[in-house]
Amino acid sequence: MTEATTTVRETAGNDVVFDGITKSFGSTQVLQSIDLHISSGELVTVLGPSGCGKTTALRILAGFEKPTSGRVLVNGQDITSVPANRRGIGMVFQAYSLFPNLSVQENVEYGLRVRRVNRDKRAARAQELLEMCGLTEFASRYPHQLSGGQQQRVALARALAIQPGVLLLDEPLSALDAIVRSQIREEIRRLQQQLGITTMFVTHDQEEALSIADRVAVLKDGVIEQLDEPRTIYQKPSTEFVARFVGSVTEVGVDPQYRGGALPVQHPDAGLDTLFVRPEDITLVPDEDGPCTVISQIYTGERTVVRATNPVNDLDVTSSVSASEASDLTPGTRVTPQVMSTPALRVAAHGQSPAERVIV
Amino acid sequence: MASVNWRYSNWLPIIAVALYVTVPVLCSIYYAVFPGGRFSLAAYSVITDDASLAAAATRTLLIAGLTIVTLVATLVPAVLAVHLWAPRLRPVLEILCTLPLVVPPIALAAGVVALLRWGAQQGRGSLASEISQFIQHPDLPLILVGTYVVLCLPFTFRSIDAGLRTIPLKAMVEGSSSLGSSVWGTVWRVVIPNIRGPVLFSVFFATAVCLGEFAIAATLNRETIPVWLFTVSNTNFRASIAIAVLLNLSTWILLLVATLSAGRFSALGKAKRKAAALDEATTLEKEAH
Repeated sequence: MTEATTTVRETAGNDVVFDGITKSFGSTQVLQSIDLHISSGELVTVLGPSGCGKTTALRILAGFEKPTSGRVLVNGQDITSVPANRRGIGMVFQAYSLFPNLSVQENVEYGLRVRRVNRDKRAARAQELLEMCGLTEFASRYPHQLSGGQQQRVALARALAIQPGVLLLDEPLSALDAIVRSQIREEIRRLQQQLGITTMFVTHDQEEALSIADRVAVLKDGVIEQLDEPRTIYQKPSTEFVARFVGSVTEVGVDPQYRGGALPVQHPDAGLDTLFVRPEDITLVPDEDGPCTVISQIYTGERTVVRATNPVNDLDVTSSVSASEASDLTPGTRVTPQVMSTPALRVAAHGQSPAERVIV
Repeated sequence: MASVNWRYSNWLPIIAVALYVTVPVLCSIYYAVFPGGRFSLAAYSVITDDASLAAAATRTLLIAGLTIVTLVATLVPAVLAVHLWAPRLRPVLEILCTLPLVVPPIALAAGVVALLRWGAQQGRGSLASEISQFIQHPDLPLILVGTYVVLCLPFTFRSIDAGLRTIPLKAMVEGSSSLGSSVWGTVWRVVIPNIRGPVLFSVFFATAVCLGEFAIAATLNRETIPVWLFTVSNTNFRASIAIAVLLNLSTWILLLVATLSAGRFSALGKAKRKAAALDEATTLEKEAH
């Protein structure tokens, strides 16, 4: 068997199409007819809880899994039956998966060595990438001598060395601690934009998904629930699942006639509309006759998250306020919650379709 | 006082085992090189005097070499394939490879003899008879290679299987193939270097088996070194002991090398030594300044 000579052109920025991709493992259907178009140079994060099929979707694009039905196209070419090693797609894994017997430089050169690029060119390219990823001084180290963050940088440099048209990242940051995570997240975004690589980024962390992406695909049980810009996903979720999964939300039941203002705090119930309200869309107005009592304040720096509860039905309302507003809302204060702007989602009482949005 | 006692008692079993192992060897050495109480290497003149020893030694080494090549070339891909693509078949392979442990070598030999006889009985010039003749040729009895491969299966399987378990095999293969490498390219460039220790361990262990196996070779009446030793012990006992000592020591050295190589040739060990060398070089450089 000869080594891979990339069949996919090595030009940055290929568009990717999932065309009716279905995948079953035995009797479990992991992906149900996924249609997804990632434009050239775009970064799409695939967000979902564990077991939603997001990693399977990525592995199908990488060529490690065969879809049960459907096609995958890169740059207009059907690559569904092209083996992984001929796709020219760069991949970064959650567990780094560097080669322990090779030094950092040799790891980065690996893809070029496979392509029989000559030694000098290989070394020059590796140096360039190590520099880009801030790893120059580690070139002669071995993977086990590096921290997790450094290893993941090497993995990124290694994937980029082959000038892939598409870059895949499978939860690349979940094994790292918070500070390193946000550093590398920004670095990935910077490199991705600089090189204009079409990128698919799989994660279960909603903050990560929103902060890095051009568009976010929220996946649940093998179905794309919503595919939109981060802002839209957060502010205008199209389903209850998306509203609950991305960001925090207060769910209350209101009369179908409710059009904003003082919020009667009651549980969602038959005959009531359900509002999904973001913390910043709720104000707690101090009021001696208010239905709720403030129970806690969580100081997060810029904002303070205040929780109030209705003692009658134990329903909690969460509001995010500035520090000065928070001083009036000490625990024990009676308050009336008010909805100040359009709630993220309103589900009508009798409408079976969940996404009927009514302006308050 | 108690702690001192404890320390002595700790050493006791080790000393006992050491004596148990070394005393017979020391006695053999004494018997071989101190005939009549005076040092002499006369017993070793058999090496040059008896041409059949050289022939037996060459034959044995050839058999050992072929056994090792066959063993590694078949078992490494087999275990790898099971790990990568058919994890459910792993127990089957494990049982198959462990089976030789429960079959006594003499039973194996009896089976082989029966098979060869059956082949020979198929009539002169028949294919079965030709094959039977070919694989038991006295100069290079290939039947011994096959039998020794089977004898070596249990520990070779264990060693390679354990080696593959300690490396993130699937991640390596996927990482490598996403970078454009074929499966065999990956095996050659990444997998083998990372299980070099276990493979070398198998190689040395197989060598030890091939140098020491007697029952099967004797039953088939093929003169390997152990069989030669047995034959010569009837006529020149001192020479047989002298050569046995040599064989024994070389086997021990091989086993020692095998044990060390398991650690020394592992990827991690190699990386550590390289790093240590680098550290040393930088310190020297600093001192020079």
